[in-house]
Amino acid sequence: MLGLDSLPPSVLYEGMDGGGFTYIRQLVEEGQKWLMRTCHPPITVPAWMVMFTGKTPGELGIYGFRHRRPGEFDYYIVNSSFIKTPTLWDDAGKKGLKVGVYGVPPTYPPRLVHGFMVTDFTTPGPDKPYTFPPWLRRELESRTGPTVFDIVYRSHDKDRVARDLFHMLENHLRQVEYLATRKQWDLFVYVEISVDRAHHAFWKYFDKNHPRYEYHPMYSSVIPRVYKRIDEWFEKLHRKLPKDTIIIVASDHGVKPMKGAFTINQWLIEQGYLKLKDSATGLKPGTDLRRDLIDWEHTIAWAWGGYYSRVFINLKGREKQGAVDPKHYEETLRQLKRDLERIRGPNGEKWDNKAYTPQELYPEVRGDAPDLMVYLDDLWWRPAGTIGWQTNYLPENDRGPDDAVHDWLGVLAVYDPEGTLPRGFMGEIRVEKVKEFIEQLIYQ
Amino acid sequence: MVHKDMTEKVSIEIRRDLYDKAKKFIEEQGGFSSVEELVEFLLEEVLSSEEAEERGLSKEDEEKVKERLRALGYI
Repeated sequence: MLGLDSLPPSVLYEGMDGGGFTYIRQLVEEGQKWLMRTCHPPITVPAWMVMFTGKTPGELGIYGFRHRRPGEFDYYIVNSSFIKTPTLWDDAGKKGLKVGVYGVPPTYPPRLVHGFMVTDFTTPGPDKPYTFPPWLRRELESRTGPTVFDIVYRSHDKDRVARDLFHMLENHLRQVEYLATRKQWDLFVYVEISVDRAHHAFWKYFDKNHPRYEYHPMYSSVIPRVYKRIDEWFEKLHRKLPKDTIIIVASDHGVKPMKGAFTINQWLIEQGYLKLKDSATGLKPGTDLRRDLIDWEHTIAWAWGGYYSRVFINLKGREKQGAVDPKHYEETLRQLKRDLERIRGPNGEKWDNKAYTPQELYPEVRGDAPDLMVYLDDLWWRPAGTIGWQTNYLPENDRGPDDAVHDWLGVLAVYDPEGTLPRGFMGEIRVEKVKEFIEQLIYQ
Repeated sequence: MVHKDMTEKVSIEIRRDLYDKAKKFIEEQGGFSSVEELVEFLLEEVLSSEEAEERGLSKEDEEKVKERLRALGYI
């Protein structure tokens, strides 16, 4: 299973790949194609784990990378120990299959699997025990060099970003080829994060529909080159695999141009939901909202930015200096939802905003869920949590350049060399149904 | 003091061919005095990562990851 993080259907199915995918496209055309509808929120963490556990983010209790314990202002980061449900490879191992897992977020710290595992970009560093079995790390490094987990892609130095990106991709391809050809496995799941990094750093040089599209002799070729490198590598690897190997190509969500960023906390301030202390003046643009800046006694709600926004109500009895009486909680939520959904664009244009309570989205809500989950203009605008800006509409992301936002549809394509599956376009499949779908392929 | 669980032994069954291979390895290469010792060693090695997993991330590691995720724009 080849997981290409953030690959949209337009690239894999409609040829918007700049000529990058030749071999993989051919396999996909001879196989089964699905539009993979991702989860709420449409983010790498939790989307891949929703795919591999078959549980919604609510059931997993994972709503993004970071979470907040009730009453606290600071956040913690999730890791593999938060995944309490057996994954596709845990269940496969139990049935006696040997498994290989590479780069699936979040799998650090590595867990015991019936096979081998190399963790993902959330690994703190290459000096950590990031493989299972533990001795695999040294073996891998001696043959393929030090493991590269991620790159810093939010930089204006695009030449360096491109160099780092290809360096990381080559490192992963070498490692996966080594593991796939030298180790025993029945099921191998490989997620490549470079695709997502290339999209975020270079999408405006690639997608002619981007509002800030710009042709650049070098940068415009980065995304197609990433696709092409994966395609050529995969063709070579595929020829070495047993003839009856089923190939699955999947992504965790799609991608589309980012129109801009909206300063959600500044909006909450304007609307009277959030109040800063009188002393909080002269803030620099891009200041983080800190606990000490907030006048908690007069604050109803505050928010986090990211690919979506999480809004928290300053609820009495739950928060340290709660101001909203529990008997007004539901009413406050309803009003806030209405107001959030009425936010308009920079020129007064109507936006397609959505604000959900977790209970509306999931059959079960575990862990540290926010009070509201907010998408601005169907994800086209990124919520920015920072304050101190002159305007609520930022042309760029508040935390460094980013050309892309996520989208609801990813891909799931299956190539069965024995031709036992119906071919062609099959419609939509929800991300939490993918595990069951793959298990049917494996066990039937 | 040695914990009772560390001295008490249980029996498990493993495949004959693996047992024979391990026994031959020990006889020829040394390093371990018995197949039992080799199996215990391997299990300890393998389970050390699972223990780390149970502990989750240290404060220092969590800070490293936070810093990276901030740079990546996830948070």
